[in-house]
Amino acid sequence: MSIKTNHVNLFEDISDLDYLGLTKFQSLLYNIIHFFKAIPSWLINLFKQIGKIIAKFFNSIVSDIKDIGTTFVHGDFKTKISYFVMGFGSIARGQIFRGILFFLFEVIFIVYMVTTGGYWLSKYPTLGTVSSGRQYDAKLDTYVTVPGDDSFKCLFYGTITIIFIICFVYTWRTNIKQNKINEELIKNGHSLKHAKDDAKSLLDEEFHKTLLALPITGILLFTVFPILFMVLVAFTNYDGAHDGYSNLFTWVGLTNFNELFNINTGNSQLSLAFGEILSWTLIWAFFATFTNYFLGMFVAIMINKKGIKLKKFWRGVLVLTSAVPQFISLLYISKMFAANGLVNGMMLRLGIIKDLSQVIRFWETPTLARITVIVINIWIGIPYLMLITTGILMNIPEDLYESAKIDGANAVQQFFKITLPYMLFVTGPYLLTSFIGNINNFNVIYLLSTGGPINPKLLSSAGAAGDTDLLITWLFKITMGAESKYYLASVIGIMIFVVVSILSLIVYNVIPSTRNEEDYQ
Amino acid sequence: MKKFLTILLSVLLACTLFGCAGNKGGNESSDVKEFDVTIWFSEIEGVADQVQAQVDKFNEANPDIKINATIRGITEAESATQVINDVESAPDIYCFAQDQLARLVQAGALNVLGEGAAKQVTEMNDAGSVGAATFNGTLYCYPLTADNGYFMYYDKSVITDDVDIDSLEAILEACEKANKYFSFEYKTSAWYLASMFFATGCKSDWVLDDAGTIIGVNDTFNSPEGLIAMKGLEKIAKSTARNSSSDNASFSTGSAVLISGTWARPDVTKDLGENMGVADLPSFTVDGQTYHMGSFSGNKLLGVKPQQDAEKASACQRLALWLTGEECQAERFASFGWGPSNKNVQASDAVQQDEVLAAFFAQSAYAVPQNQIAGSWWDIAKVLGQVAEDATSEADLQKGLDDYTAAINGIFAMDPAIANAYTVIGSFAGHAWDYDEAMTEENGVWTSAAIEFAAGDEFKVRKGLSWDEAFPADNFVVETAGTYKVQLDSASGEVSLVQ
Amino acid sequence: MAEKKHMGAKAKSRLSNTIIYIILVVMTIVWLIPFIFLVLESFRLETTHQVGYVIPKQWGFDNYIKLFTKTDFPIWFGNTFIIGLVVAIVQTIIVLSMSYTLSRLRFKGRKAMMNVMLVLGFFPGFLSMILLYKVLSWVGLTGSNSVPGLILVYVASSGMGYYVSKGFFDTISRSLDEAARIDGATRFQIFTKIIMPLSKPIVIYTILTAFMAPWGDFMFAKYIAHAASDGMNVAVGLQNMIGTQASLAANYTMFCAGGVIVAIPITILFMSLQKYYVEGVTGGAVKG
Repeated sequence: MSIKTNHVNLFEDISDLDYLGLTKFQSLLYNIIHFFKAIPSWLINLFKQIGKIIAKFFNSIVSDIKDIGTTFVHGDFKTKISYFVMGFGSIARGQIFRGILFFLFEVIFIVYMVTTGGYWLSKYPTLGTVSSGRQYDAKLDTYVTVPGDDSFKCLFYGTITIIFIICFVYTWRTNIKQNKINEELIKNGHSLKHAKDDAKSLLDEEFHKTLLALPITGILLFTVFPILFMVLVAFTNYDGAHDGYSNLFTWVGLTNFNELFNINTGNSQLSLAFGEILSWTLIWAFFATFTNYFLGMFVAIMINKKGIKLKKFWRGVLVLTSAVPQFISLLYISKMFAANGLVNGMMLRLGIIKDLSQVIRFWETPTLARITVIVINIWIGIPYLMLITTGILMNIPEDLYESAKIDGANAVQQFFKITLPYMLFVTGPYLLTSFIGNINNFNVIYLLSTGGPINPKLLSSAGAAGDTDLLITWLFKITMGAESKYYLASVIGIMIFVVVSILSLIVYNVIPSTRNEEDYQ
Repeated sequence: MKKFLTILLSVLLACTLFGCAGNKGGNESSDVKEFDVTIWFSEIEGVADQVQAQVDKFNEANPDIKINATIRGITEAESATQVINDVESAPDIYCFAQDQLARLVQAGALNVLGEGAAKQVTEMNDAGSVGAATFNGTLYCYPLTADNGYFMYYDKSVITDDVDIDSLEAILEACEKANKYFSFEYKTSAWYLASMFFATGCKSDWVLDDAGTIIGVNDTFNSPEGLIAMKGLEKIAKSTARNSSSDNASFSTGSAVLISGTWARPDVTKDLGENMGVADLPSFTVDGQTYHMGSFSGNKLLGVKPQQDAEKASACQRLALWLTGEECQAERFASFGWGPSNKNVQASDAVQQDEVLAAFFAQSAYAVPQNQIAGSWWDIAKVLGQVAEDATSEADLQKGLDDYTAAINGIFAMDPAIANAYTVIGSFAGHAWDYDEAMTEENGVWTSAAIEFAAGDEFKVRKGLSWDEAFPADNFVVETAGTYKVQLDSASGEVSLVQ
Repeated sequence: MAEKKHMGAKAKSRLSNTIIYIILVVMTIVWLIPFIFLVLESFRLETTHQVGYVIPKQWGFDNYIKLFTKTDFPIWFGNTFIIGLVVAIVQTIIVLSMSYTLSRLRFKGRKAMMNVMLVLGFFPGFLSMILLYKVLSWVGLTGSNSVPGLILVYVASSGMGYYVSKGFFDTISRSLDEAARIDGATRFQIFTKIIMPLSKPIVIYTILTAFMAPWGDFMFAKYIAHAASDGMNVAVGLQNMIGTQASLAANYTMFCAGGVIVAIPITILFMSLQKYYVEGVTGGAVKG
C-alpha cells in the first residue's frame, strides 16, 4: 500500500469521488497529511472565527437593545406592562401557566435581591472586611468568638447572585420577546400555544428537552459552577493562611500567575518544576495509553486466534482484576515492590540477590520508578483494552483476511495491513479520551508511588515533588499539603486545562472517525 | 421551553440561597446544663473507650454540667487536617501534634485559655510542654503528652553487645553485614531528617505574627554546619541498609534498627520480644569530629474549638483541663504507655522506671523544642535526604542547600503581605546580615520592635526580603549604643532611630 | 508437495498455539498473584504486620471476625451498598437519557453541547471538591450524613459520562426510528418501545459500572466523611485502617480481609453479567 495509489496522489487535494474510492487506511493517511497541510490556514480561520463570534455577540447585543426599544414603542399596553410586571402579557393573552412562572420568578428575584443578594453583592469587591475576633468572659474565665465576615461565603454567594442577575436579565428579555411574538401571532390570526400543547411537545418534537433537563441541571450545578468558582479562586489569595473564616482572603489579580511564570519574583523554581512535571505527564500519558493499547490488542488477538480453547476463561480471569477496587490492589502492589517488600524479600530468600546492595529499589530510583508505574499500569489496563479490541476484531470482515491470505500475506503482514489500520481508524476517539484520562490519572500514580522518588530539581516554594508526580498529583499535594494553597492549585488546574485543550484540539482534527457519527450503523 | 428551563434553574438556585440556615442556639436549662460535645481522640484501639470513661467520671465530679460526648478515633495528623479543612463543623475538642499549632491558630480553630485555666495548665505541666502549647505568648491548648519525639529501637540479635550503639557508622555496618535495614525516614520526612542538622547546631526558627502568619525566618541549614550535617546524612543515604520508613512493623520486614517514637512500642515489642533494645540516637563522625544526632521534641496537644456560646466554651475548657489532668494522664500512661506532660505523673515511679521513656528522656538532652514552623518547610526540607543520596561531590551537597534556601525564600515571595513589608537587617545584637527583624506599619511609617544596638552597628531597611529596595543607600551606622526602635518613612525613604 | 506444505502449516499453527498457551498461563498467574496473596494474607493469624513471606504460619478467620465485630465495617459496607444501589439506578436513567438524546435526536446546539462537555472534562475534577464539600457541609450532608451527600454528587455530574452508551446507540440503525415515525410514533414512544428493548447490554453495562464506582472512591468520600466513621464507605474506612504507621501495623491483615470481602460481591456480579458487560463495552467504547 503505497502513498501513491489508485492513481491518486494523497498529498494533493482530491475530489470526493476519489476520496470515496480510497481504502479506510488510505483515507486516514490522507486526512493526516491534509491536517498538517491545513494547520496555517486553520489557525487563521480559528482567529477569524473568534473575531466573528465576538463581533456577532456585540452585534446581537446592540440589535437586542434596539429590539427592546421598538417592542416597547410599538407594543400594546399588555406588552408595555410586561416590561415591569413580567408575565402580565402572557396571562392577559391566556397563557396563564407561563405567565405565572414569569411573575413568580420576578417576585423571587426581587425578594432575594432585597433580603440577601444586595448584601452579598456589596461584599463582592472586597470579599469581606471584618475579621472574626474574640472576647474575654471574665465570669466564666473563657473566651468567646465574635463572628466576622467569611470570604468564602462572600465569593460563593456573590458569584451566585451575579449568575442570578444574568438569569433574570435573560428571562426578562425572553418575556419581552414572548410578548412581541404573541402580538404578531394574534395579529395574524393564529392561536397561542397553551400549557397542554407545551407538555405534549415535550414528549415529541421537544423530547430532547425532557431528557436533558435533569442531566444538564446536575452538570451545571455540580460541574460547571464549581469549575467557575475555582477559576475565580485563582485570582484570590485563598489558602490555609487565608481561609476566609478566621483570616479573610481577597482578590489579588494576576499575582498567582506571575508567581507560576516567574514574572517579577526572581525565583524560577516554580516554573521550572511546572515544566518538568508537565513533560513527564505527557510522556507518561503517551506510554500509558499506547502500551496498554497495543498490548491489549495483542492479548485480544491471541485469545481470539482460531484453535485457542477456553476463550471465556482467559478473558474472565483478566476481567476479574477490574472487579477489585483499585485502591486495594494498587496499595497492595505498591507494598509488594517496596525495598523491604515481598518481591525483594523473596529474591533475597531464593538467593537471586545476595545482599542489600543488590536490592532493587523500585520506588526510589527515578527511571526505574517511572518504568514500574508504566508496567503496573499495563497490568491494570490490559483487561479493559482486551475487551474493547475483542469486539472490534470480531467486526473486521473475514473476507479481508481471506483475500490477504490468497495474496500470500503472513500473520504479521496481515496485522499491519489490515488489523492495525482498521483498529486505529475505529478507536481514534477512544485513544484521545484515554490519553486525557491518563494525563489526569490520579489513582495509579498516587497509590503506587505517591509521586516519589523525590526529585531535588523539582523543589519549589510549593514543596517537594517527585519523579513520577503528574500535574494532578502535584496539584493534590499542593491542595492537601501543609499550606493548602488553593489559589496555586487553581492556577495549575487552569494550566492543565489549557494544555489538554490544545492537545485535544490538534488530535481531534487528525482523527477522521470523529467526524462521522453515522459511519457505524 | 428554554424559558421554563431557565426559570426552573433559577428557582432551584433561589431555593439553595434561601436554604442557608442559621445557627442553633445553645441549650438553656435551669440547674444542670447539658452540652453535646464531640471529641476527636487517638485512633488507637481502646483509647476512645477510656476517654468515654473519663468523661463519665468528669460528669460525676461536676454535678452542675452534663457532657454528652461523642468520641471518634482519629489520627493526630488527620485530625488537624480535617479541622483546618472545615473549622465550622470541627469537633469541640480534638487532639493534634504540636507541629500543627501554627496552622490551627491561623485557621482560628483554637480557643485561647481563660486566665485561670492558663494558670492551672502552666502549674501542672513541665515548662517545655507549656511552651509547646503557647503561641507568641498566648496559651492556646492543653498539653496531652510529652513524648512526641524519636529515638532508636534495635534488634539485639543483630546489633549485638559488641556493636557500639553510640556510633552511627558501627550500627550501619552491622546492619549491612546482616542484610538488615536501618529504618530511618531520611528522605520522606523532614521531622526525622532534621535530626542530622540539629546534631551540628543548625536551626530553623520561624517568625510568625499573632495571627499565625509567617513573617520571617532565621534558618541556618545552609551553612558550614549544615554541610557537615549533609555529610552525615550521606552516610545513611548511601548505605545499602537505608530504608526511608518509620513503619511500626519494620522489624517484620527485615529491619534491625527503627528510629521512631513511643507509639511504635507495642508493635516493636510484639516483633522483637526479648531482643528489643531501646536507646537514644547514635552519633556520627565527620572530619574527625563527633556529633550526636539531635531530634525534635514535641507534644501531643488537646485543643478546644472557639465557641460563640460562653457557657459551652467554659464547659469544654473544664473538660479539656480534666482530660489532660494528672489522673487521666496517669491512666493513659498505664494503658498505652503515653509519656506524660504532667509533672507529678512524670515524677511517679512507674514512669521513671520505664525503659522506653528512659531512652526518650536520654534523647531529650539533644532535642530541639519543636516550635512553630512554616507548613511548607516540612515539604521543602525533606528533599535534602534525596540530595544526599544522589550527591557525587561536596558541590552537589552545597547546591542542594542553596536550592533549599531559594525555595524557603520563595515562600515569602509569594505572599504580597511579605513582599510589601519592610524589615531591618544588619550587624546588630549578634546578627551578621543574616537576620530580618520585622516591622509594623502605621500611616506609611514602619517601626520595628526595640533593638539593642552597640555603637558602630550597621543596618539597612529592606523591602520584601530582597535588596531591590533598601534604605538608606549607604548602611545606617549607629553612633551611640542604646535600645532603639528603627523607623522608616516609606514615602521619603528616610530611616531614623527612636527611643 | 502440496500435502507436505499443508502439514508444515499445521505444525506451525500447533507451535504458535503452544506459545500462546504459555503466554496466557503466565499472564493468568501474573494477573492473579496479587489477589491470591491478598487472600492468603487475610487468613494469617501469627502477626498483623506486613511480613516478607506469603503463606501464613497460622490460619484462621479471626481477621474476618474482628472486621465485623470490632470495626464499623458492616456500616461502611451498608453505606457503600446503598450508595451503589441508588447511584446505579439514577445514574443509569441520567446517562441513558443523555446519551440517547445526543445520539438519536438532532437539535440546535447539540454539537456545541458535546464539545462543551468534552472540554469540561479537561478540568481536573477534584478541585471542585473544595467547593462541593463546603456547600454540602452548609446543607448538613457531610460527616454522619455523607451518604445522601455522596449520592447527590455522584449522580449530579454523571451526565458527563455519556460516551460509551452514546457509542452504543450510534450503532443502532436509524432506519428503525424512521419507520416508526412513519407509523406515527412519538419520539417518547420510540425511546421506550423500540430502542430500550434493544439496549439491554448497555443498560446492564451502565448499571454495573455505576454500581462499582462508589466502592473504589476514597478521595472525595474521605473528604466528605470528615472523620465520621458512620458516614464512610468501605474504601475510606479501609484506607483509614492503614492510614498511619501505627494503624498499618495493627490492622494490615484485617485490611486484606476487608479487601477480600469487598471484592466478593463485585466479582460475583461481574462474573454473572460478564456477557453483557463485554457486549456493552465492545458496542459502545469503540465510538467514544
